Amino acid sequence: MPAWRWLRFVQGPSLRRITPWLLVLLALVAVRLSKGALIADLYAVVSRPFWPGTAQAEWLRSARRVEDGARLAQLEQDNQRLRTLLELQKQNPNRVTAPVISRDASGWWRQLLLGQGALSGLRAGQAVLGPGGLVGLVGSVTPSTASVTLLTDPRSRVGVWVGRTQHHGLLTGIGTGRPVLRFLEKDPQARPGDVVVTSPASTLVPPNLPVGVIQTMDANADPAPEAVVQLIAPVSALDWVQVQVR
Amino acid sequence: MDLLTRQPLLAATALLVPLLVLVSPGWLSLDGVGPCWAVLWLLPWALSDGPFSGACAGLALGLLLDALHPGGVTQVPALLLLGWWWGRMGRRAPPIQRSFSLGLLALLGTALLGLTLMLQWGLLDWMGTREAIQLAGPQVGRRLADQGVNPALLALPGWRWDDLAGSGLRVLLTQTLITALLAPMLCSLQLLLWRQVGSGWRR
Repeated sequence: MPAWRWLRFVQGPSLRRITPWLLVLLALVAVRLSKGALIADLYAVVSRPFWPGTAQAEWLRSARRVEDGARLAQLEQDNQRLRTLLELQKQNPNRVTAPVISRDASGWWRQLLLGQGALSGLRAGQAVLGPGGLVGLVGSVTPSTASVTLLTDPRSRVGVWVGRTQHHGLLTGIGTGRPVLRFLEKDPQARPGDVVVTSPASTLVPPNLPVGVIQTMDANADPAPEAVVQLIAPVSALDWVQVQVR
Repeated sequence: MDLLTRQPLLAATALLVPLLVLVSPGWLSLDGVGPCWAVLWLLPWALSDGPFSGACAGLALGLLLDALHPGGVTQVPALLLLGWWWGRMGRRAPPIQRSFSLGLLALLGTALLGLTLMLQWGLLDWMGTREAIQLAGPQVGRRLADQGVNPALLALPGWRWDDLAGSGLRVLLTQTLITALLAPMLCSLQLLLWRQVGSGWRR
């Protein structure tokens, strides 16, 4: 029985000796086939104390912030230079910071009263900026106060465009908390989430100030599509604003 | 008329109305809309002081409030009418002191004031649209409309009709409601004060 000889050779005490090695081999094959599942996981568990902590993420984030800020400043400077080259803006914009001393953000009139007036150089028609973008336009001034017509007031009309598609529209207050953007084109290709900025073609407001985000689109409105815009600046909580003095 | 002729300084309390309009305390508002302070002051004044004094106070208040609000609309006629009406009521009717009727009068007054404002804006809207179309000429107007621009949009002074019917109605109702809720408390106290001051002179 030559065929059974090796089997008999393996049997007995020698099988007991080989079995652990066979198991190790099986485990290695399993690791190989699973592309190192166990090893990588083991490594992850063992090296957990040495992982990059929150501090490191914070450094990276702050570096990114610095980079973004620097790029923004650079781009703004560049934009300014190009605009002066084009003579779109004769002088450098100058901003006056003013406190909000009266706030009537709902009701028949939607307006703010600022604690700076004609003595500080404010004039009717100047743009008022809050944290988050355009808030409204100065409606009238007295020597020490200025009343601001908010973008939500039905009397407010501001030329804006959707930055992504570059389609113009008229931002009109309708007496609710959210103004309506009435497009000039039949097919504005805008969709909810698009950012609305002031139009570079407008002479009333400084160009490219962020205004709001499109919340809903009504593409079938007559005579042109309409969009409801959520303003970025929290109008009901404003306490300091900046007025762009030309 | 006693209050206005004998001690005109008392009428200076009307200056509180524009100040309160400016302060517009957020905790005293319904859905962000504050009460109509002019009605809350004018109602007890007119009830205790007669139609002429009430109309004068209404005129003064209207002028003060119009100065605070931009736009071509005015609150003078409504306040004038209300002052005169409430003044006549105070003289002819038995003394009105019960809170319910004060609330009802304030409700009617605020609704009337809001309606006159809505009427003015509606008229301005209608005239503005007509004027814009006339100015642009029918052909240009139609071309603008074809391009999707409402010609009236570029020439409007205030609320449009459909906004008035939507959010305008909401503002009207909320203001009417909050004023009517506050009137029994605030107006009865003022009425008491004016009557006490007045009766002091009569004795």
